[in-house]
Amino acid sequence: MRLRTFVLMCVGALVLDTALAPEIEILGARPDFLVLAIVYGGLGLGIRIPVIAGFVMGLMVDSELPEYLGLNALALSITAFLSASLLDRLVKSQVLVQCSVIFGATLLRDIIFYGVYYRGSLDIFGHFVIRYSLIGAGYTVALGLLINIIARFANWRAITGAVRR
Amino acid sequence: MLSPLTRLLRGNRDLTTLVICVLLSAIALALPPAAKVVISTIAATPILRPLKRLATAADGLTRLRGENERLRKLAMELVEERAALISQGHENERLRELTHFMVGFAAEERFDLLPATVIGMPGGRIIEGIEINAGEASGVQAGMPVVVPDGLVGKISSSVRGRSLVEPLTSASSAVAVTIERSRVRGIVRPRYGGASELLDWQMDYVPARSDIRAHDRVITSGLGGVYPAGLVVGDVSSVHEGPLTMTVHIDIAVNLSTIEQVFVLKGLAAPSPERDAMMQALLKELALEAAPSDTTEGVPSGGPEGAPSTELEGGAP
Repeated sequence: MRLRTFVLMCVGALVLDTALAPEIEILGARPDFLVLAIVYGGLGLGIRIPVIAGFVMGLMVDSELPEYLGLNALALSITAFLSASLLDRLVKSQVLVQCSVIFGATLLRDIIFYGVYYRGSLDIFGHFVIRYSLIGAGYTVALGLLINIIARFANWRAITGAVRR
Repeated sequence: MLSPLTRLLRGNRDLTTLVICVLLSAIALALPPAAKVVISTIAATPILRPLKRLATAADGLTRLRGENERLRKLAMELVEERAALISQGHENERLRELTHFMVGFAAEERFDLLPATVIGMPGGRIIEGIEINAGEASGVQAGMPVVVPDGLVGKISSSVRGRSLVEPLTSASSAVAVTIERSRVRGIVRPRYGGASELLDWQMDYVPARSDIRAHDRVITSGLGGVYPAGLVVGDVSSVHEGPLTMTVHIDIAVNLSTIEQVFVLKGLAAPSPERDAMMQALLKELALEAAPSDTTEGVPSGGPEGAPSTELEGGAP
């Protein structure tokens, strides 16, 4: 994946996360387009670039809620680092691997975010994670799967993780 | 204590990037609220504003789509409402005509009119019968005439509790004793059928040769025979053919049987009632005021107060 493509992907993810995600929520849970972007970045651009992208995107999202400026940046950069590191050690092209990483990454981002946000109230944190994060992670995986299927048909190696022979 | 960490970071650029990002995030989180607002504004202004604009546009599109859907539904409802209002308007017009017809008779000739609605028209190309929603329970009996403001429809052929069957003028067995309004020449009007049971027109039989009948003469019931009261409009003379002994007179009937919806059953002469007469006169005056001056007599049958031959009325009762 080229850097320019990844940057465009991140911009697209930010727009979708702001405009589309609230419209397509199911049972209050939304798909996480930012996590999808950084996971796909990790497929083709190593670890560093997705981490920086996660930090920048997180900071932009945080600017909407200045009180917690840096929280999304923290959650997304850690998520990007761990998911990219994991993908680096696994067979990236396997759909199951990708789905598992997307699920874990979405859940991790929420755990970090809600963990800091509700640091004084463990019960609310648990409620949010169970009530919204699990469904949101499943939703994001479903979306990732759809993108993967489309990418396979269109032969986008950057998304499918297939290696050029 | 720092040296192992430094050594770890020096050998791992990815981890170094993460640590820097985490540190920066932590610093951002630890900043005083005022500084956070400033940084947010700086970060948001150049980068997020165009994205926000895009998001707002997308949101606007979604809202517009919803509004469009809502308006479309509203338009459908309005169309339905309009159709219902038009239908009610037509019904109102018909009822007005019927009311005019009811109050149009002179007090001494006023019939006991029973309004009824057409609920069926058995028969194929030719209307063999008209089913109405008034029956024995309303006092309808076989032989009673059925009319609309335009003229005669036929007579009741059979009646059960809640409905009756009308034998219309199109029926092969229909025969109406009539007279020419202008010259008082009498005859019998019957439908005339062609080879393939096709209704051709109506013919006035038993008219002596050289009778005073012209095209466009109005044909009304004569009252002879005791079935139909005198003065009900049947139709107009369409053409006249002289024969050696009799005349062949073709008639166009006044009522379009295929479009009627409401009819009146003439149950006989109404019992005198000064209160009802006063009420009807008031209603007639009201109707006359509502209509244009030239339209005040519209819908009043020739058997009514507008110069009808009431002298030939044979009791009125079927």
